[in-house]
Amino acid sequence: MTTRGRPSPIAWLLAPAALLFVLFFVLPFGVMAAMSVFSGNPVNNPNAFLTTRHYERFVFDTAGIYHDALWATLRIGLITTIISLLIGYPLAHWMARMQSRLGHALVLMAVIAPMLTGIVVRTFAWMTILQDKGVINTLLIQWGLTDKPLPLMYNEFGTIVALVHIYVPFMVLTLTGVIGRIDERLEQAARSLGAGRLRAFVEVTLPLSLPGILAGSLLVFALSISAYVTPSLMGGTDVLTLPMLIAQQVGTSFNPNFAGALGVILLLVSLAIVIAYNRILARLSGEQGLA
Amino acid sequence: MTSAAIRLEQVTKTFDGRVVAVDAITLDIAAGEFFSLLGPSGCGKTTSLRMIAGFEHPDSGRVYVGGRDITDVPVHRRDMGMVFQSYALFPHRTVVENVAFGLRMREVPRADIERRVAAALAQVALTGLEDRKPSQLSGGQQQRVALARALVVEPPVLLCDEPLGALDRKLRQQMQFELKELQKRLGVTLVFVTHDQEEALAMSDRIAVMNKGRVEQVGSPAEIYEQPRTRFVADFIGEINILDEAGTARALRPEKIRLVTPDGARVAGRVETANYLGGSTLLRVRASDGSSMLVRETHAGERASRTPGDLVGLTWSDQDTVALEG
Ligand SMILES: Nc1ncnc2c1ncn2[C@@H]1O[C@H](COP(=O)(O)OP(=O)(O)O)[C@@H](O)[C@H]1O
Ligand SMILES: [Mg+2]
Repeated sequence: MTTRGRPSPIAWLLAPAALLFVLFFVLPFGVMAAMSVFSGNPVNNPNAFLTTRHYERFVFDTAGIYHDALWATLRIGLITTIISLLIGYPLAHWMARMQSRLGHALVLMAVIAPMLTGIVVRTFAWMTILQDKGVINTLLIQWGLTDKPLPLMYNEFGTIVALVHIYVPFMVLTLTGVIGRIDERLEQAARSLGAGRLRAFVEVTLPLSLPGILAGSLLVFALSISAYVTPSLMGGTDVLTLPMLIAQQVGTSFNPNFAGALGVILLLVSLAIVIAYNRILARLSGEQGLA
Repeated sequence: MTSAAIRLEQVTKTFDGRVVAVDAITLDIAAGEFFSLLGPSGCGKTTSLRMIAGFEHPDSGRVYVGGRDITDVPVHRRDMGMVFQSYALFPHRTVVENVAFGLRMREVPRADIERRVAAALAQVALTGLEDRKPSQLSGGQQQRVALARALVVEPPVLLCDEPLGALDRKLRQQMQFELKELQKRLGVTLVFVTHDQEEALAMSDRIAVMNKGRVEQVGSPAEIYEQPRTRFVADFIGEINILDEAGTARALRPEKIRLVTPDGARVAGRVETANYLGGSTLLRVRASDGSSMLVRETHAGERASRTPGDLVGLTWSDQDTVALEG
């Protein structure tokens, strides 16, 4: 039927998306990658020459901060993803299996509501809760549970708390869709065959929801390793991630070429991780016939 | 294989505090019996079955299996086989893995599992399809896998919720024979939910006809068909004429009516429609007083075919009519 070479007339509807993709992804990435191999800006500086020195600067890391920044970025991304999954999965499961439509709508609203307020607003909200004179520390000191405020922010802990809060809805929405499509009777069949509730979940629902776990984790990981505002506000001087480093290079060091190299490196590293992760889960689910 | 008797005692289930799905029903199902729950959609058949399986807990009343009160026993300890309408096969598992599931949960040794799975697959004629995924099977094959998966653990009770509903007519009839034969061979107590009265009549030892969460009548297929106790049962099972005789309603099956010459017949009228059904023809006769009756003319002997417009007389003997309550 559709084996003829002629594209469907509906294909034209993809044009705006394709245009956006080129304008906002391919083009900027091309410019960034090009910049990363020049000594200066070749457009207004005729003396700019091709060089690998920005990459060498990162690889040899004489200042001793770039590798740490990359590692911190990945670590924060990974921990944020795992915690989001641990919080998001039970919530998504509960939502997907909820009988009452009203209840479902209310929980969905509660999940989506944080997404309706800006990232900056949400991050500031966390600051009022977590800072030294914030809600938690004030209470702890008042109750005499501690005499010094706990270091709840301006560190990785605070950064991860805020990132999880911001990205959990993405995990929940992705998982709810996938879990909701798994027939409840499969778990019931497992139970009638002698599996307890937990066993039935592990044998049936969990493996069938692997695609959702994969998609949700990739989404949250990609979002949190590229986060800039939250680590900057919550991390203080303790946290330096690649996106923060890139912003520094562009904004205060006026070195867009090195920034470009950092951008390319971040993209390549996350791409490698995504591909590896995809492979592993595809193998797992392939064994179970989901591939 | 062992089998167990089932008793539902004054069992009631309400959903959302409003919908009374099952209303104080009491049923006694004998060990080794093929027992059907028959009724229109929404009458509470599935809910009753799910209370036996343990997926729903009754609001009140008790459930007994083999004399033991299992009302509060969780599903996975009830040791019952269940076949779902949609089969509910595990899509990520092969045929063998599906069938082996219950044995694995019971921690049966590996070698025994292999042997018993092979035997169960042979029993339902599925040998050779071991490594297929459910999506690679036809509806009938999926049905058999579901059956093998439920039976391989040798449960004393097998529960089936409209298991043949998704099959086409020919295959359904074949599966009816096979399922009944299998049930008799294994001796398992089978509770069978269906809304198809022909299916229930063909397969069951006994039938409970349900209506609006209540049991209207329990009996053998012949009793249900020939001695319907209520108007609902008479109406739901096959075609029926309801006669009003001195204020009491009496049921009369269309095949009990004989066609005679109009003079001196109990009822005279004109044939309004004639539906040819192969083995018989179902006539609708409009009497002179405006009432209409259904008459089945069987084609066993010489076939005197009536066509719409023909003037006919109807007669029957009083012992063929059955008094109805309500
Ligand atoms: N989980 C449920 N929540 C609310 N109402 C239900 C639920 N299950 C069944 N019901 C209601 O209970 C009644 C009986 O349903 P069911 O037992 O499925 O009937 P049947 O299987 O005979 O078609 C129906 O009115 C149905 O809408
Ligand atoms: Mg039903």
